[in-house]
Amino acid sequence: MAPPLLLQLSWRNMWRHRRRNAILLAAIAVAVAGVVLLNALLRGMQADMENSVIDNLTGHVKVLRPGYLEDPSIQRGFDVAAGWSEGLPADAVAGWALRVRVPAVVMSERETRGVQLVGVDPAQESISFLGGVAVAGEALSGREDRRILVGARLAEQLETTVGRRLVLVTQGADGRNREAGYRIAGIYRAEVGGLEQVFVFTGAEALQATLDTAAVTEVSVRLADTAREASVVERLDAAFGGLDVYTWRQLEPQAAQMVKFADAAVFIYFVVVMGALVFGLVNTLVTAVMERVRELGMLRALGMRPRTVVAQVTIESTLVMALGIALGLLVALGVFAAVADGIDLTAFDDSLASFGLRPIFVPVLEGRDVALVAAMSLALGLLASFYPARRAVKVKPLEALRR
Amino acid sequence: MTEAALPGALAGRASRRSGGARGLFVRVAWRNLWRRRLRTWLSAGGLAFAIFLVSATVSLQGGSYRGWVDTATGLATGHFQVQHPDYFDDPAVRHVLAGGSALARQLGAVDGVVGVAPRAEAFVLVAAGERTFGALALGVDARSEAAMFDLPQRLVAGEFLPREDSAFVGTALAANLGIGLGAEIAGLGSTAEGGVAALVLTVDGIFETGQAELDRSMMLAPLAAVQAAFELGDGVHRLAVNAADASRVDALQPALATATPAEARLLSWRELLPEIEQGIRLDRISAQMIYWLLMVVVTMSVVNAFVMTVFERTREFGMLLAVGMRPNAIVGMLLVEASCVWALGAVLGLALALAVMLPLGVVGMPTTMGVEGMDEMATRLMMPDRLYPLVSLDAMTMAPLVMLAGTLLAALIPALRVRRMRPVDALREEE
Repeated sequence: MAPPLLLQLSWRNMWRHRRRNAILLAAIAVAVAGVVLLNALLRGMQADMENSVIDNLTGHVKVLRPGYLEDPSIQRGFDVAAGWSEGLPADAVAGWALRVRVPAVVMSERETRGVQLVGVDPAQESISFLGGVAVAGEALSGREDRRILVGARLAEQLETTVGRRLVLVTQGADGRNREAGYRIAGIYRAEVGGLEQVFVFTGAEALQATLDTAAVTEVSVRLADTAREASVVERLDAAFGGLDVYTWRQLEPQAAQMVKFADAAVFIYFVVVMGALVFGLVNTLVTAVMERVRELGMLRALGMRPRTVVAQVTIESTLVMALGIALGLLVALGVFAAVADGIDLTAFDDSLASFGLRPIFVPVLEGRDVALVAAMSLALGLLASFYPARRAVKVKPLEALRR
Repeated sequence: MTEAALPGALAGRASRRSGGARGLFVRVAWRNLWRRRLRTWLSAGGLAFAIFLVSATVSLQGGSYRGWVDTATGLATGHFQVQHPDYFDDPAVRHVLAGGSALARQLGAVDGVVGVAPRAEAFVLVAAGERTFGALALGVDARSEAAMFDLPQRLVAGEFLPREDSAFVGTALAANLGIGLGAEIAGLGSTAEGGVAALVLTVDGIFETGQAELDRSMMLAPLAAVQAAFELGDGVHRLAVNAADASRVDALQPALATATPAEARLLSWRELLPEIEQGIRLDRISAQMIYWLLMVVVTMSVVNAFVMTVFERTREFGMLLAVGMRPNAIVGMLLVEASCVWALGAVLGLALALAVMLPLGVVGMPTTMGVEGMDEMATRLMMPDRLYPLVSLDAMTMAPLVMLAGTLLAALIPALRVRRMRPVDALREEE
């Protein structure tokens, strides 16, 4: 029998039981839409986590001297030759920053606290959270600015404000302590409050002068095209022989693990939800075959080959599945458009708001996830039609006609 | 309709044998189920699948939350802390609670408290020879600290505070200072009045938590030494209080609140470690989304099964109506059939969930599951090595009850068609 005719037959069969097929379609649509939307939400959380890690002075790729991670001091700094960045593929890199980052102790009249003192070139810091913070007072003017930028929380705890001075103690290149007073240029507010207690910023050149060095402790690179990470790492490896080049995944394995988990989760969601769907799908398909025993017997008696019977059942099941998937994707797109600005999880649990962090997740719909769910569902539809098709083939023409 | 069960015809015989119409109802419904054996098994299978997955995952979640809380509070935080009212927002040396030892006794006397650890702490510059690093000096009572917390057990060399001038430092701090056991170190800080505080200690123990931040910037010292150096007298900054385990925390809170004096503040781990509490809540919300999706999909499958059942039995119902059975009785019978399908699914699903979770609750499940790189993450996250599922009545009843409601609803929707049936039309329906 010609395929178009088979398709037509299957299509018409589908409409013989509208009510039941409508419910089946709805179930498939709910399952597909649910899996796609849950995955989009998870992808959103993943992107959020990745961004905040990369913003947190990590960047996508970072160059450090071996041993700096265990002992972050200026002795583990390195000199950067002029022109090191020339070999970087310009279109793959969003920006880079050279930093001098050392542990320091900040002392006010009453308090002593440990902080990270970071010497920066403000012009380069569009690649980190520092580029986007709100500053009360003035921002740092340049590499040679001797003043400091302090987080709002730290300033509150030290009971200090713009224009006042703070004493910072840190270790110089010779291993001896440098104790110096710094005037507060401005007070910044970060989106992640914890950062405000950790980082104190000053001009990179000014800090190098204090520490008696020309070295930096890190080169941080932010990518514009993350797919080209490997080639950037390779370039940096060549430019900085003897130093370590880390990706953010190596520096923040915890966040990287979470991101990896999100990749696996789409399969878990699929197996769980579609596993539940299979029971209903097989149920409906078997009924559809059993109802047509007489009809199938007649067709067989008229000379329809078993292969064609299998094809008919399979096509019918695939058609239902394809329609359900299409419907489900439509629903998913509709819901996605409605919540594209973000879902406020406090709507589910208002005590979440009391943590001082608004858990708003912006879902991210990725084409490859949608395609994967659609393809897997279609394959599942084929698989589910196996048993009903076998039952259909077993129909003996004579017996069936006698019923 | 070869083997249709006719309640009307059977009624006489059955009522003589068993307890009247109700028992008969259930028996007929049960027999009806097996007229479409595959369909019944598929519906029950779907229900069992959902009930198994949800019950098992809820148990796992319960177990892992308990594990998170135990490990997070067990390192050094404790289930509760009593602090100076301002210390939590502004950990300054001057925010001190006077009369620390009396307060510790008072809190220790509360029924349900298994341990109280008083602490005084301050940020100091730790110097050894030419090298200096900043660290938090945590003054602790060695005995209660060792009994209540994990940090003393993270020892890699030496002993935990054997003497009055001992120091217990992190591996990274020791490495950065270039010192080992027996080295003399000095901690310099400022007292509440702005004077110089000096701690002179000998390194008698070195610890490693696996968390770089702690290993680099924490030092434990005897409480009395820190109190003396910072001129605190008998004052403490916080008292960590432990219940027998995390599940008793909420029950203990009211009694502790009463025992906490007005000039102090009681904080539970929920406030002390908000990221743990938040993590649990977020995890719970995302898990619930998938539970509901799963249960809705299964319910829809059951609806479909009953739509097909009612459709196929139109003639049968027509005949029953014609011989005088009331429509509501037929709806009732369909609901009994649905309950039987549900019972099958619930028994199967729960049996499977219990069979997997109860043994795991005893032997535990390795958290890392052999996944590469997970060991390191487990250390960083302070995750326990083994996860013990928490099998509770709540975990085992939630999914079955939701699915019972779903199944009854699923049967009711098509069953209501029976009330609109006219016997004559129904009988004429071709099979």
